[in-house]
Amino acid sequence: MPEAVPAARGRDVAVRAVDLEKRFGPLEVLKGISFEATEGSVLSIIGASGSGKSTLLRCMNLLELPNRGDLFIAGEIIHFDRGRDGQATGLDRRQIQRLRAKVTMVFQQFNLWPHMSVLGNVIEAPMQVLGLSRREAVEIAEAFLERVGLADKRHEYPAFLSGGQQQRTAIARALAMQPQVLLFDEPTSALDPELVGEVLAVVRDLAEDGRTMLLVTHEMGFARDVSTHLIFLHAGRIAETGPPGQVFGNPESERCRQFLSSVA
Amino acid sequence: MDFSWLANPSYLAYLWQGFVNTLILVALSGTAGFVLAVGVALAQIVGPRPLRWLARGYTTVIRGTPLLVQLFFFYDGVGRLLPLIPGVRESFLWPVLRDAFFYGVLAFTLSVGAYVGEVLRGALASVPVGELSAARAFGLSGVQVLWRIWLPRAIQICLPTLTGEVILLLKSVPLVSTIAVMDLLKAANLVRDETFLVYEPLLLVAGIYLALTLVLTTGMRALEVRFPGVKPGRV
Repeated sequence: MPEAVPAARGRDVAVRAVDLEKRFGPLEVLKGISFEATEGSVLSIIGASGSGKSTLLRCMNLLELPNRGDLFIAGEIIHFDRGRDGQATGLDRRQIQRLRAKVTMVFQQFNLWPHMSVLGNVIEAPMQVLGLSRREAVEIAEAFLERVGLADKRHEYPAFLSGGQQQRTAIARALAMQPQVLLFDEPTSALDPELVGEVLAVVRDLAEDGRTMLLVTHEMGFARDVSTHLIFLHAGRIAETGPPGQVFGNPESERCRQFLSSVA
Repeated sequence: MDFSWLANPSYLAYLWQGFVNTLILVALSGTAGFVLAVGVALAQIVGPRPLRWLARGYTTVIRGTPLLVQLFFFYDGVGRLLPLIPGVRESFLWPVLRDAFFYGVLAFTLSVGAYVGEVLRGALASVPVGELSAARAFGLSGVQVLWRIWLPRAIQICLPTLTGEVILLLKSVPLVSTIAVMDLLKAANLVRDETFLVYEPLLLVAGIYLALTLVLTTGMRALEVRFPGVKPGRV
């Protein structure tokens, strides 16, 4: 039984997962995942493909509903139990939407809305979900577009941007909700190698800012640099966890050692 | 070529009325048909089973029968049966129901609803799932996802096909000349009957249609450029 990430002294817990289980039909993807992330920490989730990393991340904003377990995130407490239909019990649509507004996500494939300009993409959720006026939303959006270095592209459509610019737009879109937790699902995996750097620079900048972030990534060097903690998933379980120095320098599990030597 | 009849004010009045009627017919049935099409497409994708069957049946019947036959069916069939219902003649709707123009709008609306409904259904299904997940992931409600992301995205995807549908609608308009609606063809035929000119009035009508199509294509092209789904010049 892997132990939970210990909470740093004096910091509040931003995310706590207890025994999360997720099944797709007969396939058990998550087999009891427990961890904690304190406010301002950067938790990276690594592991081979198929180990359940993305599913775990998608459970954090309920794009996937765990079959079992407890989740505390952004002030929302949710107990999942397998109902007859495998749905979470005691979970209403309003709570799901409220949670998602506080826990935003950056996707591997960017998933920008191509019928909206860069600015349109960034102001959409703040206006529709948070109910901000257009003026307020634009003000916030422009600040974050500035931050990711795309202020001059705000009237451009996604189709006219490079992959790196699209992903930076997607990051601005996630930031504009001013979320309590930011989720990154392999944010550089769909990028041409020469564009990875510009996106990682933005993520690193945010990490140093003290934002609570959960990051699924294949960029081991980057994970080692920016993370405060790491989780190594293997076959739906946490096989190794700890600060980067320990996980990379002196992993306890054979699985993790093998994985790290295979990707190095 | 003899176009001297164009100097005759009553011929010009026919043509003008035909032109205006054509535009109104396209605008009304295009708009109403599009609204209907959205309903038909959604019914088939997210509707409950009975509604899905209804939408599918409607589409099959309308697309499976000639528009001209439908036009006659509504005008000669429904149009003749309606007055037999007690009270219809006295109702405030009668001036509309009595008018052949109404049956033209009705038939075209139903036609657009079926054809464009199918186009939209395909387009809705081809919106990448990730874009919809992203909308949900930001806390948009199901209704917001539909109106803000899913439907506009689908329309963007099928815009070039929609252009074609509008052109087809425009060029179906002469069919209404068979049910006593004054359209451009009807006007031309009146002129032909009175002047014994065979080609000239038809040539003029053809020219007007060509011009209208060009205007439509240009307008829709501008829309496609304004909302590009993919980078122009890239396959």
